[in-house]
Amino acid sequence: MSRESVITKLQQAVYILNLAAVCLVAGIMTYSMLRIVDVMKAEQFLRLIEKRPWRPESILITAVACYLCLVFFSCVGQLWNQNSRYARNLILLIEVLFCVGSTVAMNMNYNGLVLLVVADMVRGQKGSRQKIVLGIAIIGLYTILDYNLAGNYLEMIPIDSFIFYFSTGVQAVIRGIISIFRSVNLVLFILYLTMLIQGEHRERERIQTLYEQLGEVNHKLQEANQKLKEFAVEAEKNAETRERNRLAREIHDTLGHALTGIVAGIDASLLMIDVSTDATKKQLQKIGDVARQGMTDVRRSVSKLRPDALEKFDLENALTRMLEDIGATSGTQIVFQNQVDPFRFREDEEEVIYRVIQEATTNSVRHGHASKIWITVTKENQWLTIAVKDNGCGCKDIKEGFGLKHMEERLKLLNGSLEYEGREGFLILARIPIRWGEEF
Amino acid sequence: MKITGKQAVFVPMMAAAILLLVITGTALVWSGEKNSKTVLRFGMSAGSYWEVPTGNCYEVIDAAIQRFEAKHPDVKVEYVSGILKTDYSEWLAEQIVLGEEPDVFMIPEGEFDMIASLHVLKNLDLLIERDSGFESAAYYKGAYLYGNIRGVQYALPYESVPTLMFVNKTLLDKEGIPMPKESWTWDDFLALCQQVTRDTDGDGIIDQFGCFDFDWKEAVCSNGAVLFEENGTVSYFGDSKVETAVKFVKELNAVNQGYIVTAKEFDRGKVAFRPFAFSEYRTYKPYPWRIKKYSDFEWDCINLPSGPDGSGQSQLNTLLMGISSRTKQESLAWEFLKELCYEEETQVHILEASQGMPVLRKAAESSVLQSVLGDDVPGSGQMNVQVIQQVMEDAVDMPNFQLYAAAMELADGEISHMVNGDMALDNRLLKLQREINSLLKQ
Repeated sequence: MSRESVITKLQQAVYILNLAAVCLVAGIMTYSMLRIVDVMKAEQFLRLIEKRPWRPESILITAVACYLCLVFFSCVGQLWNQNSRYARNLILLIEVLFCVGSTVAMNMNYNGLVLLVVADMVRGQKGSRQKIVLGIAIIGLYTILDYNLAGNYLEMIPIDSFIFYFSTGVQAVIRGIISIFRSVNLVLFILYLTMLIQGEHRERERIQTLYEQLGEVNHKLQEANQKLKEFAVEAEKNAETRERNRLAREIHDTLGHALTGIVAGIDASLLMIDVSTDATKKQLQKIGDVARQGMTDVRRSVSKLRPDALEKFDLENALTRMLEDIGATSGTQIVFQNQVDPFRFREDEEEVIYRVIQEATTNSVRHGHASKIWITVTKENQWLTIAVKDNGCGCKDIKEGFGLKHMEERLKLLNGSLEYEGREGFLILARIPIRWGEEF
Repeated sequence: MKITGKQAVFVPMMAAAILLLVITGTALVWSGEKNSKTVLRFGMSAGSYWEVPTGNCYEVIDAAIQRFEAKHPDVKVEYVSGILKTDYSEWLAEQIVLGEEPDVFMIPEGEFDMIASLHVLKNLDLLIERDSGFESAAYYKGAYLYGNIRGVQYALPYESVPTLMFVNKTLLDKEGIPMPKESWTWDDFLALCQQVTRDTDGDGIIDQFGCFDFDWKEAVCSNGAVLFEENGTVSYFGDSKVETAVKFVKELNAVNQGYIVTAKEFDRGKVAFRPFAFSEYRTYKPYPWRIKKYSDFEWDCINLPSGPDGSGQSQLNTLLMGISSRTKQESLAWEFLKELCYEEETQVHILEASQGMPVLRKAAESSVLQSVLGDDVPGSGQMNVQVIQQVMEDAVDMPNFQLYAAAMELADGEISHMVNGDMALDNRLLKLQREINSLLKQ
């Protein structure tokens, strides 16, 4: 049997038990009053009590009717469990009123109905503060409706006064039965409350476990994200390597090919020049063709190497986009300051500028773990200076890796230079002599 | 925590609803049988409230009901007849337990406080306040105050009986003593008693006496002593007025030299004075009651002699009528109560057909009193109307708290011992006061 079905069974048992108790107590009161009149002990009865009792039949009818209303609203309250707080509090208030009605009709000789209302209150409440309020309400209600405390002030008639005309033995039996009802009701209530609170406790534990699991998963997700970032960098590096290999192949296939041809042709020309000048001329003609072809091939290769962004946008836009991308993917703040206008150079120069900034920024992010990067581009005479500074961990003992070496190579192709130092953050200074005015 | 088994909740809910409908239906049908015509229920006991012989005890009430029904044609007043006075309190208690007590009813003697504190009686203060035609000053104070408990008027007086001093005129004439004046005192009373107490036939035994039945209660009252605090929480038996009264009774008894005077001697005309309830006085002489007593002396009435601290007051015994707090016809009940207790016609009728005194001053002052008393007193017996009116005016209300009877019983036993014993009074009265105070605290 599941816990919930036990709770439901308990609840029904409480309803039936209380109905029996109300019928018994109110019935005894009503029957006693009728009997008292029959045996002509009414005057004696009146002398025992402090307040005129209700009409005999109204005691029974009011007590039972109020109790049934209480049960009805208790059930309604459970069916409307999801409703607003106001509706629930209203129903609880109605329950309290009917509980008081029934209990007063029985002259507070049975106070078990309070527990029924309290059980409904506990079911509706959650959280520790409400529990405290509830505890006070329980104590308050219980003491108010307990005959010993409140009955004297409210001029209630104790059951003993009603049953005084019975023989002592019968009186004892009646009192015993009523007290059995009280005790069983109390036991059921405690059982019910225990089950209810236990259920809530388990619920809380389950939520706690779920929360812990969520935290774990979140942590794993973060790790995965970090790895993914590293993979991305790796992938980029791989792409670079692939590109490099392609370049090597190209050089081998084009420039190597052409140079080999040129070398072979020049050797042949050296041998032929004394035999036939014409043939040599022809030969040189051919060498020239090979050299030109080689140049075309090199150009083609180089053009393939150009970053895609530079193909689509101008340098400034391409740089901005690229820096934005890096910034966005790594969460680094990148400040790009360009003091050169017009920011347009020859194709190869633009490419070098682009690559240097890209490489330097990537290094700052990857190795320096910088959170902020400052990039300035300045011009002095024909020298263009690119400074990339970051606030990362820097590097005291710099081992020139592929990246730096590559940058240096690129710059040297344009007769430029590269300087760097890594004591506070990392600083890269790249200088390129620009052939101003040739094209722009 | 949510109970998912909605079905499980539905079953008790529907069961409760169905049972509820059955109960309300039954209750409605049951109560529907009852309301037909406006009926005002009245409760009273048969016979005389004053425990004296009486003729038709319902005469005054029937006449009042007739007048009331004439004034309110759509109302019928019903009462159960034939309930003896001894059964009346049980009958009323049964009606109260069943929730069917009459709308207006006579309050059984000594149960006024109990019934009022059970909230059975309606608080009349509001009704009195609203009724501009009602004047409490129209009543004799002693009678009206008897219906007041702890400052709340729960009942109206219907009929009162004062205590008077019955004087054997024939005996006084024989001794050559004139009728005492209204201003007579204990000293006069004692002197007269001493004067008449003697042996008339010369057999050496006293056979003519001064007084019979003047006990400490009369003495205390006529000396102006108050025995209890108004709400019955404290007693004042240690008061010097009480001591004086008890001493006086002792002296008075001493006059008889140890002879115990009985009612028989009084009836044979051998006693000069006897305190008498007005109701007994009314039924003492008229036909047919006098036949039984063979009395052939002439007599008169006078107020009790006044003690050194009092003015000869007597205690007024009053029959009260109240309204049930559960009555559904509050204003009709009030009108009927007034018909009985405030209507001059009814009150004058009491003089004619009952044995008590009307509680309304106006009714008591009517000429009927003279003629009625004349009828009751055959021969030369002259009843002084002014004396009775003055006695009513001066009379004090009897305490009406619950333990009054018990306290008085205790006091009566103790004081009787004191009167017959030789011990110092002040100490014993103080001791009695302590005992009674502890009884009252219960």
